[in-house]
Amino acid sequence: MSEFLQHLLNTLVLGGTYALLGIGLTLIFGIMNVVNFTHGILYTFGAYIMFIVVQKLELNFFLALPVAVISGWLLGALVELTLLRPFRGSDIDTTMLVMIGAWIAMQSATLWVWGGVAKSVPTPFPEAPLVLGPVSVSWLRLFVLAAAALLIVLTYVLINRTRLGCAMRATFQDHDTAALMGVNVDLVYTSTFAVGSSLAAAAGALLGPVYVVYPQMGDLAAVKAFAIVILGGLGNITGAVIGGFILALAEELGAGYVSSGYRDAMGFLIIIAVLIFRPTGLFPRAERVG
Amino acid sequence: MLEVRDMVCGYGGVTALHGISLEVKAGQLVALIGANGAGKSTTLRAISGLVPLRAGSIRFHGQDIGGVRPPRILAAGLAHCPEGRRVFPHMSVEENLDMGAYLRSDRSEVAADRDRIYSEFPRLAERRKQAAGTLSGGEQQMLAIGRALMSRPRLVMFDEPSLGLAPNIVERTFAIIRRIRDSGTTVLLVEQNAFAALDMCDYAFLLESGRIVLSGSGAELIANEHVRKAYLGG
Repeated sequence: MSEFLQHLLNTLVLGGTYALLGIGLTLIFGIMNVVNFTHGILYTFGAYIMFIVVQKLELNFFLALPVAVISGWLLGALVELTLLRPFRGSDIDTTMLVMIGAWIAMQSATLWVWGGVAKSVPTPFPEAPLVLGPVSVSWLRLFVLAAAALLIVLTYVLINRTRLGCAMRATFQDHDTAALMGVNVDLVYTSTFAVGSSLAAAAGALLGPVYVVYPQMGDLAAVKAFAIVILGGLGNITGAVIGGFILALAEELGAGYVSSGYRDAMGFLIIIAVLIFRPTGLFPRAERVG
Repeated sequence: MLEVRDMVCGYGGVTALHGISLEVKAGQLVALIGANGAGKSTTLRAISGLVPLRAGSIRFHGQDIGGVRPPRILAAGLAHCPEGRRVFPHMSVEENLDMGAYLRSDRSEVAADRDRIYSEFPRLAERRKQAAGTLSGGEQQMLAIGRALMSRPRLVMFDEPSLGLAPNIVERTFAIIRRIRDSGTTVLLVEQNAFAALDMCDYAFLLESGRIVLSGSGAELIANEHVRKAYLGG
């Protein structure tokens, strides 16, 4: 029983960052109809920003997180302006190829700049875990959960309570009519890509210190993000949050009760199962309009 | 107020408009009639900046708005109520109306305008928190009209407002459009229902295969032999 409780606790911690990854990807697909292959790179990028700020610049760990989020936002905006804006109106296959090219180029750049050796990020948290009766959790992981929860709430507020969020939702539902209402659709696209990228960077910045930081860390994260988005329904933000926690639970239970080697296979199993039995995802959003 | 000169537009290799010219004077209700595929919607979409111009010019209030992006055209006072209503289906009635006022920053005035629209269309007031996609066709049309007025336009373009509506709702929609003109807002109306449009307009243009072939007052066009045969059923 205590083992099961421990798995549930781990699920919460892992699920929060998975949800961030999923929201970022589903937002970009839902609003822009772009399959973002650079999502995993942004995750890696966020983790390296963490490493640079904490280890190289020796600045505060808690300062490093917003720096990583803002850096991800800027890199996302740059990718959108230079690689996606010129292809506006092209079909989804064209932008997909462009994004695959960007993924390969950016991953090689990561390897070139930081080398292939895994790095670890020092944290200010005590080594001894917090023990709560039968279960225990490290302070770092608790912080990861709290930060992920805060970012998820902020994203909801952004989308449902702000003027930009209103413009994003309108653009998602009908981009031509949104333009007729005075929405600068180009700006919405750039902002959406930047926000989605910053969430991926945030997920990397949070999980980087938990594990280690290396150039290919984003590949698996990207596959997991796609699994979450396919599970939650393309373009559905709440679906991505729930999908993130379901994937985390599947990984925890798979690793705990089957074999730890199966942890990373869970994402693929979910993709296969969803595509066979429920191709629209668990929470399909009404079809795209316009 | 609105002056279109020799406008050429197309999609890919197809030219939809072969150099059309038309004028809408302040305070008028001007109708643009023609058959399906004649280029009526393309004309409106080009004026509001959704379709790029290949040649020609568009002037609105002395300002050149050819090739300008849609938000700036709306900001200049030219609103477009698109074909098929196009309400935001997953947004509430109230959010849809607020989207119409997206460019305005005078919040209290926006709220007052919204209340005016609610008093004009009580059905919308009853359903203000409901998702727009769940409204009936007629209610959606009222919402689309209300939304277009929320920007306080000087000229509003309606694209096929009667399409797919029950006859009594069509009647009501035309009455609302007349009232908009009477309240001082200039109207450019695209309609397939040629008789209704000619009957209520101050001036009309007939579009055939991307060319303006005839223009005149509504009464003149109703009396025209060709119009009678092709559009008014003899």
